Amino acid sequence: MNRHNVVKTVAACLAGILSLGMLGACGNQGKDASGSTIIKFGIHVANPKKQEAVTYDIVQAFNKKHKGKYKVVFEASDKESHSKNMKLEASDGTLPQLFWIDASEAPEYSKSGALLDLRDFLKKNPSVAKAIAGGKDSFEDKQTGQYGLPYQSNVQGFFYNKGIIDKLGIPYPNDDTTYEQLMETLPKIKAGGYTPIAIGSKNSSYTMWEFNELLVRYGWQDNLKKIKAGKEQFNNPDFIKAFDKIEGLAKAGAFPENVSTIEYFDAKQQFNDGKAALFGSGQWDCAEFDSSLGDKVGFWWGPKFSDSSYDQNVSMRVPANPIVVNKAVGDDVAMKAGVYAFLKFYYGEEAAKMSYAKSTFPATNYPGLKATSSQYAMNEMLKALGKNWPSPASAPDLTLDAASQQALYDAIFGVIQGTYTPSAGLSKIDQAWKISHK
Amino acid sequence: MRWLSKTRYKVGFLIPTCLVYVIFIIAPIAIAIGYSFTRYSGIGRARFIGLSNYVRLIHDPFFWKSGANTIIIFVVASVLLMILSFFIALLLNNKLRFIDLSKSLIFSPAIIAPIIVGIIWVYILDPKVGIINGLLKAIGLRGWAKQWIGGTVLSPYSIAIIYFWQQLGYLVTIFIAGLKMIPEEVLEAAQIDGATGWQRVRYVVIPMMRSTISTVAVLIITGIFKIFEIVQQTTGGGPNHLSETLVTYSYSMTFTSSDYGYGMSIASVTFLISLALTGLYFIFGRKGE
Repeated sequence: MNRHNVVKTVAACLAGILSLGMLGACGNQGKDASGSTIIKFGIHVANPKKQEAVTYDIVQAFNKKHKGKYKVVFEASDKESHSKNMKLEASDGTLPQLFWIDASEAPEYSKSGALLDLRDFLKKNPSVAKAIAGGKDSFEDKQTGQYGLPYQSNVQGFFYNKGIIDKLGIPYPNDDTTYEQLMETLPKIKAGGYTPIAIGSKNSSYTMWEFNELLVRYGWQDNLKKIKAGKEQFNNPDFIKAFDKIEGLAKAGAFPENVSTIEYFDAKQQFNDGKAALFGSGQWDCAEFDSSLGDKVGFWWGPKFSDSSYDQNVSMRVPANPIVVNKAVGDDVAMKAGVYAFLKFYYGEEAAKMSYAKSTFPATNYPGLKATSSQYAMNEMLKALGKNWPSPASAPDLTLDAASQQALYDAIFGVIQGTYTPSAGLSKIDQAWKISHK
Repeated sequence: MRWLSKTRYKVGFLIPTCLVYVIFIIAPIAIAIGYSFTRYSGIGRARFIGLSNYVRLIHDPFFWKSGANTIIIFVVASVLLMILSFFIALLLNNKLRFIDLSKSLIFSPAIIAPIIVGIIWVYILDPKVGIINGLLKAIGLRGWAKQWIGGTVLSPYSIAIIYFWQQLGYLVTIFIAGLKMIPEEVLEAAQIDGATGWQRVRYVVIPMMRSTISTVAVLIITGIFKIFEIVQQTTGGGPNHLSETLVTYSYSMTFTSSDYGYGMSIASVTFLISLALTGLYFIFGRKGE
């Protein structure tokens, strides 16, 4: 055989192997080498193992339990990229089988017909429906059905550093601490060389969790109902009072001087390093504070307001953003069974126990679950939840469409940074709302 | 090689280039302009709303603020870049000691990713933890410590300086290449005729470098209208969109507020401004020739 023929033969063999490989890939679409059905889970963090450790553990446990049958794999990217990717994938029909999505965007996906109605899943799994209880109501639509289920349960408010407060000789904030009392402590905290409330706005305008409680204490739900009915606007006396309080805190120097050039993670680092007395966040940071502050971490819902006529005894345990299922899953019997199996596991008692073990409140309620004594931050939250104050059905910021939600964030940080008056900030939300609801 | 000049071969060679140009340049621009006439959240179907986005844009103070910031950056950065890069190139075109080291040092910021450039400058300009304010405070000039980034006034100037720092070496290199193209004899002849150093630059070098200067001008114009990462990393457009440029504001509206239609209207206007500026430069540049 001459050299030319050898080359031709090798080329033909390679082409044949490649073709077979491609055919094989077509034949095994959606399955891995072991024959497991691959379920893609789109998630809003770049590194789920590190940044969403609970979900990562649950997925690994599910994969282990269903080895050879189903395998959940992450499609992971940071929140902003994830949001963009999901929109692009929705437009070309390549959405993952299930994915996390911002509550403000989920109704749009649902209306466009991209999501599976999960009432069928809940009907087939009554124990899950019971465990999630009212948490699912925020993601139900009369026309499109149950378009999502809460990813987790978010408990939001202020974490505080007991060490700093002890050192300054001021009392710990408690369920009855008022705004005026908080204002009185600010000069003492500042005089001690600490930032009273760590917060950063750069590329982090959504990190306003501590103000959700304030909005509820000034009647967010009632006012929003009126706004939706066209009988009220955001720039109303209740919300002006609420925003006046944020302005009061800003003017009293409660926030870092460089709030506009630091991010959420920088602000959290200030709190971790013992440079800030308070930090607004949620249960997702509990494990981190357990290791950085240990038993010196405290949790507080935030101040009460004497000039509000609304109930002040409210807590903030709310459904997190939803996870949703690609509608195409409904057309594939095997895939649907896999996704249902995963959801059943994700919302099951075993997964709930795993969540508690890592200081995360699951979307479900199973009796008897509690934190260990070394889960300081979570125990502080449980103590705060112990009064059984009612929580709103959803966090205020998650009740708005994307543009109005962003306007709310801009308004809050605009007031903090002195670029908006309370009224001007609220008018911006009104403008965004009008455009979105034209 | 005569056969290559046949029309069918010319067309054959042009088709792939034109296809790539249409698919990757013209089509996205046309699609973006199309979306600018719609209300679209990025999900589902876009709804045609005519010129509403453009009317909204006229009444949007943040759009005008972004435009003003872009103009500030454009004026400050282009003046600094055009003048300094040319004169530094003149200097580096001489046979001096450590010239290669100097060239490397000046060029080095150009090889740093813009996002890293932003991070570096945050540590320099941050009003609280930045080196500049720290230094000013340390030497007793507390009153000179300013909010270089993150405030309502100085951010665009700071961004212009950062962009200047990053681009200088790249443009100097282009100018040096242009200078190398000028025949030595021409400059020597001017010198023999008694032209001073400045006169040689004014009457020989600059006219002979017209095409290089045009290239640099276009690079500066188009580059400034694409500044994105530096703004995102230093200020994130804040506080409250007050340090946005047209590009970052378009991005913010499109992806953060999910207002794709409005974001595309800002992008379309930005594109047209950039196109107009480049076009004007070419028109007036050719008149000069």
